[in-house]
Amino acid sequence: MSARGHVLEVLAGASAALGLERDYINDLNVYPVPDGDTGTNLFLTVQAIIDEVGASPVGDLPGLMAVVTRGSLMGARGNSGVILSQIVRGACDSIAAAQTFDAAAVSDALRQAAEAAYRAVRQPVEGTMLSVIRAMADAATGSPQTISLPVLLTTVSTAGAEAVDRTIDQLEALRRAGVVDAGGYGLLVLLRGAVAGFLRAETGSQPPAAVVADGSDRRRGRASRHIAGIPPDAIEDSRFRYCTSFLLLGEELDAADLERFVGAQGDCALVVGGEGMLKIHVHTDHPGAVLSYASAHGTIDDIEVADMREQTRARRARLRLDQRVACVAVAAGEGNKTLFRELGCEAVIDGGQSMNPSAAELVAAVESLDAGEVVVLPNNGNVILTAEQAATMCDRQVAVVASASLPAGLAAMVAFDAGATATANAVAMQEAMLRVRSAEITHAVRDSEIDGVAVHEGEVIGLVEGRLAASGDDLRLVFGDVVRTLGTQGAELITILTALNGCGVSVADLQRTAAEACATACPLVEFLFQEGGQPLYPILMGAE
Amino acid sequence: MSLLTLENTAIVVDSTCDPPAGYFEGPGLVMVPLKVHFGDETYRDGVDLSPDEFFAKLVAAPMLPTTSQPTVGEFAAVYSRLSQEYEHVLSFHLSSRMSGTYQASLTAAQPYGGIEVYDTGTVSGTISLLVELLRRRLGEGISHDETHAYVEHFARQNHMIFQVPTLEYLRRGGRIGRAQSMVGDVFGIRPLITVQDGELVAYAKVRGERRALETMTALLREHTAPADAVKLITWSSVADDKLPALEAALLEARPQASVVMHGRVGAVVGTHGGPGMFAFAMIVE
Repeated sequence: MSARGHVLEVLAGASAALGLERDYINDLNVYPVPDGDTGTNLFLTVQAIIDEVGASPVGDLPGLMAVVTRGSLMGARGNSGVILSQIVRGACDSIAAAQTFDAAAVSDALRQAAEAAYRAVRQPVEGTMLSVIRAMADAATGSPQTISLPVLLTTVSTAGAEAVDRTIDQLEALRRAGVVDAGGYGLLVLLRGAVAGFLRAETGSQPPAAVVADGSDRRRGRASRHIAGIPPDAIEDSRFRYCTSFLLLGEELDAADLERFVGAQGDCALVVGGEGMLKIHVHTDHPGAVLSYASAHGTIDDIEVADMREQTRARRARLRLDQRVACVAVAAGEGNKTLFRELGCEAVIDGGQSMNPSAAELVAAVESLDAGEVVVLPNNGNVILTAEQAATMCDRQVAVVASASLPAGLAAMVAFDAGATATANAVAMQEAMLRVRSAEITHAVRDSEIDGVAVHEGEVIGLVEGRLAASGDDLRLVFGDVVRTLGTQGAELITILTALNGCGVSVADLQRTAAEACATACPLVEFLFQEGGQPLYPILMGAE
Repeated sequence: MSLLTLENTAIVVDSTCDPPAGYFEGPGLVMVPLKVHFGDETYRDGVDLSPDEFFAKLVAAPMLPTTSQPTVGEFAAVYSRLSQEYEHVLSFHLSSRMSGTYQASLTAAQPYGGIEVYDTGTVSGTISLLVELLRRRLGEGISHDETHAYVEHFARQNHMIFQVPTLEYLRRGGRIGRAQSMVGDVFGIRPLITVQDGELVAYAKVRGERRALETMTALLREHTAPADAVKLITWSSVADDKLPALEAALLEARPQASVVMHGRVGAVVGTHGGPGMFAFAMIVE
């Protein structure tokens, strides 16, 4: 395969590996700023190299190395991207001089890559990309001279992985957050991907698993747990707000002078490049000041200003899943179950009048959720005790909001806020529930006397808060009476959950009946009809 | 230092201030458009596309449009011209937590002296209200310090609330901020959203049209005393029936209040809020 083919394969391998791990690397990112973009920055920097090579017709190795160097410099994004561009530069300079890709050349390339990376950073910090590239270079240098290239690459990869593991103990910010360094891990992923691409180009076959970054790396499992558990206050915000980077083009650019000025405007300052083009990166509160100073010395291009405070907030929001609250409801009827789900309830289990779920079913529903705290809505008087019992059996914090009916439970569900704690939710949901009066319309199951009124089997009865409000043979008339009762008692909004199969009445009939019943007595009442589908009760109502 | 007046002061805004039609056509007033992209077609908000044309397109579009902020160069061109023609240039932009527009304008203003760029911390018609009330002061002439103090006062004391029929557009545009977990569009819920610390946040989850209107009015009651001469702006995405009812409720709650102007939701805010959005903003002067 040609030199160009090799380089493209190496880049494609690096890009593919970073593409797979990009989100994960973003989540790892707590140092130097927890802005959660290291994976994206590394990925896009490699992408820029690919674009540059793709746009250039160069075919000889030294020429290609110059194009790769230029692409990495122009496309470098963020702190990690700029440091990567220097690693690339060191390695490319070395390979261009050696004109080959054998073990000795690769070993020397790693050495020069590490040196270039250290040179770029004003105050090198261990536990970062720098320590990882140096560990790789040391492993290569320390290998026997006769080593074959695949074995050398495996050795380097292993040393890199060990260096990544060590980062957690090298940097206080990482130790507190319990993660390995994102840039260091990203560099390892990139290297493994690049090696896989190289071996593919050499042999035309798949490389051995040991050198492939396939997302199943052991650090992945270990650090994933850590990520979820990062206490928010273990991570400090950057002192500075804007991650600012741009290219500066011009004759005789004074890199040392620019570095002094930029360094005084913030931290993480990097001024790299040469030959008429510098890449400048800094975390600062005054991107404008940096840009205008630089623009006095040359032409600025590819300006990128990212608000790290916003990025940090977004990263936190993404990782806060384990601290969130979810809700479990017990409900009967497809319509009602859908409604609970649409209101944000993540688990809805079947149950209700005469079909109570067991405590074990409730526990299983609670524990199936990816949430640290759970609110349970029993939605039936007969299920409240079971729910309270289940709450004591769960492996996490559970709050039971003692909703005795579906309309009460729905009102409570409206007040649910996934951003608040289970306890705060329980209070708010309880309050919302208490503002609702429940009513139901059903058929009497036997002849009896309810609240002093004789009712006959099969007769339509309307109950408000469990007390008989109306009865008769016509569902519509009873419904109208109940609606008027609720309206004149101060209801502003009446929710009507219907299950009218076999009743010979349509929703449109009920809408007319409701409007007529309230037209004079309580004309301001609003109605909301929903298909509930619950058994036994053609109509359930909540008035608030 | 001379007083700032309507004659010597230019005001720059971006198109997310959703002003009444034609408001920024006068001398010394410049609205820099953000852009809205329907597939490969790009339109300048309020320039190539009126609110009515936008919402007609939005409803018919197979895919949601996207938006983009003005470039540094677009702001620089405006500042370069105005800084030669005017002694003072004031530039007001939507919250820097919602868009990079403020940052772009700040960067563009850097080389020119005398341009004050403000992050208003809010969005949409609220910014038009600020501009109008500030212009009334410029009519009398005010000092630089007074101008700054008034803008600060407005930024701290204003309140705005809007109602959307669905949260779908906010969610798809990723602009929902801390209102993320809010449920809308089901069970008669009317999503009510306000701005806090420069971000959109859920104000309340209310069911039913009447109670939603009452809750919007409650924001006015909560932040004002009965005798306050509150200044209001109301605005909506389509010129329809919502605003008269809202205004009636607001003026009933605070009879001393006055509605200074009526805005229209433009293409960029409309992309993120969707059709059927209506709102008011208030300030006690």
